Amino acid sequence: MTRVRALMLLLALGVAVGCQEELASPTECPELCPGLSLTIRDTLILANQDQDSSFTGYVGAEEMSALLISDGINAGEARAFAAFPKRPDSVTVGGTTLPITVDSVALSVQLLARDSTLGGLKLFLHRIAPGLDSTVTLAEVDAMLTPETLIDSVEISDTLKRGTVRLVLPASKLDRLVGPAADSGRLGIGFRIKAPEPTGIRIGSLFSVSGGPLLIAYGKVAVTDTALQRQTLTVPSEKANYVIEVPAVGGNDRLVVGGKLGTRSILRFTIPPAIRDSATIIRATLELTPAVPIRGLRNDPAALQVRGILVDLGAKSPVLSNLSVTTPSKANDTEVQQVEVLSIVSAWLGKNNFVPTALLMGIAPEGGSFGRPEFFSSRSGTGTPGLRITYALPSRPGHP
Amino acid sequence: MRLLRVAAVGMLVAGPVAAQSSQFGVRGLGLLQRPISVRATGTGGSFGLFDPESALNPASIGQVSFLNANFQTVQGWRRSESPAGAASARDNRYPGVFVAGPIGGTRLSMSVSASGLADRNFVLGSRDTLILRGVPVEAFDTLASQGGLSDLRVAVAWRQSRAVQWGVGLHLITGSNRIQSKREFTDSSYAGATERFTYSFLGFGASAGVMVRLGRSVTLGGMVRTDDRLRTERDSLSIGSIALPVTVSGGARIQLGDRLLLAGSALFRNWSVANSDLIVQGGTGSVNSTEISAGLEFLTDAKRAFNRPIRLGLRRGTLPFPLRPGDKTTETAASLGTSFRFLADRAGFDLALQRVWRKGGAGFEETATLLTFGITVRQP
Repeated sequence: MTRVRALMLLLALGVAVGCQEELASPTECPELCPGLSLTIRDTLILANQDQDSSFTGYVGAEEMSALLISDGINAGEARAFAAFPKRPDSVTVGGTTLPITVDSVALSVQLLARDSTLGGLKLFLHRIAPGLDSTVTLAEVDAMLTPETLIDSVEISDTLKRGTVRLVLPASKLDRLVGPAADSGRLGIGFRIKAPEPTGIRIGSLFSVSGGPLLIAYGKVAVTDTALQRQTLTVPSEKANYVIEVPAVGGNDRLVVGGKLGTRSILRFTIPPAIRDSATIIRATLELTPAVPIRGLRNDPAALQVRGILVDLGAKSPVLSNLSVTTPSKANDTEVQQVEVLSIVSAWLGKNNFVPTALLMGIAPEGGSFGRPEFFSSRSGTGTPGLRITYALPSRPGHP
Repeated sequence: MRLLRVAAVGMLVAGPVAAQSSQFGVRGLGLLQRPISVRATGTGGSFGLFDPESALNPASIGQVSFLNANFQTVQGWRRSESPAGAASARDNRYPGVFVAGPIGGTRLSMSVSASGLADRNFVLGSRDTLILRGVPVEAFDTLASQGGLSDLRVAVAWRQSRAVQWGVGLHLITGSNRIQSKREFTDSSYAGATERFTYSFLGFGASAGVMVRLGRSVTLGGMVRTDDRLRTERDSLSIGSIALPVTVSGGARIQLGDRLLLAGSALFRNWSVANSDLIVQGGTGSVNSTEISAGLEFLTDAKRAFNRPIRLGLRRGTLPFPLRPGDKTTETAASLGTSFRFLADRAGFDLALQRVWRKGGAGFEETATLLTFGITVRQP
């Protein structure tokens, strides 16, 4: 029995030390290797001629993720506006509705982005008609933003990059926030900014996570419990939008992305069979040449988003949500924009792969960014979009 | 029957497992293995022609009087040096399963065995600098192979007399090299790339052997083996065939008294016949190989020959697949071994320890320590 145990112990020891691997042995290739390693090649594939174009309307006219306000930047002049419902004149305290005597009101917006290198930024709030919609023009809004309609202004702290900007009006100025009876007490507010240099800001909209403009009223109610006498009324805006007047696109040979209504561009490529069938792509870079310095807000780069598509239906091509890459697109940049799209292009390979060899470009956040790059297209004669692919071809090493 | 079933399962799993083996196994078909038992290994291979548990000489199984089976495994510790650097490695292989027994009522014996013919497990690493998009990018390449060749043999031996035995064997050579080539870059902008494929091999062969006892103490043995061409496929696509050599081996065993056995043998293979085929397939070719060995077995218990004997052996040979064309590769080994038997000699295990020195062209050296462990069971 002892010998049997010894045998089992030896066997277990053999198995325990047996199945182990170690590191690679260094060697000098190619002279001492049985074959060469994978062959690496590089090529530039231009976008298919006349098969690239831009489409707009991916964002609803009232559904933008941020409100833009600008003053003199090349991305366009923008003004924001919001409408509030009639402010209630009573609050419910302990199950009893009681009239409130308002003694001050705060107007609050959420700052989402700004050029943080620029100080002296001031936000101006004007009382305007509450019935504006997405069809309003910049000129019509500007016509309402006069000294006579000015409610007040608030200086945005130079250190504030994101967060709440509040304008508090004391009781003496509350009459500026009373909606006219002709508008059923609804209140319209217009926003514009001023700064020592051309700049812009983005503030929260009804569709942004941080929420749109708020009106907060502070007052008193007549109750004996002093702890309940101070009450607050919060009134969210019922509509919030912006109007922007952007420079005209340079021509039909341009590809545009971004903008208030969400403009996207589609690019189509033809991948050579030798790459499609046999290669492993190790790097794929989309190269886009700006036709003009990239429009946007300095130090608030928009994200140039490139996605693969499931089926090529032109403007209505459904995107592959899992195949998406983004890269910052800096304002005023004139260099060729490079977007690494390996994850998307890799999905194109294989003999029986039917994923369209097309890329859909846009800007994130769509409809809520100043970024509006304008690139040359395949019709421009120069700066045609290209896909630079570095790929590996099998070399079949390890021969006997 | 239970013993046969266990042995059959063992044959299915016989062969090398994932491991980093000798740098001298990179070329050609790999590092050649010897179809010998642990006992023969302990004597440097010199007893292989006469050992009834080895698959070298089909005549040797004529000595078996009981159905027996054995299984062996090898653990190796290796240090390799090349002009590119040095590396230490460990590996484990299962190089052999062997079943043999007499055919009742006849003078015939039969064996079925699976043994490693060539081991081609390796991982090679190298660095390179490529110019990608006009910028130098450092690449790290690894080339790995897993697999080798196995030799499945069915042999029959005939005891013509107490002094003379003849044997013939049929061989099926099969195996694969699973190749993985990987290229990675220090610049994270570039993803790595890998290609994988499999070389598959298939061949047939036949062997014949004889053992002749001269007087009371001298036994001579010899064998010859010839193999068909080894057909080679890459992922089911035929890429050609490789001529396999004729193997000729002869040796003598001398018994001195009741306790001491001495043996010596020599083996020759004309691997040069594969030279042109290997070069056509991209290799460095092959050269003829020779091997000579000598050893002894001292019985500590003359009545129980397999219980705690002491075995010693020396072996020297040349390897057929040079790392570079024209290089001569040699292998020298010193070995010792022993056995233990219990349960009325119905079961036991064998041990052999080898120290191996290999030398290739300028700067290529390797030392290895190999521990071979075998289990033997015998039908009561």
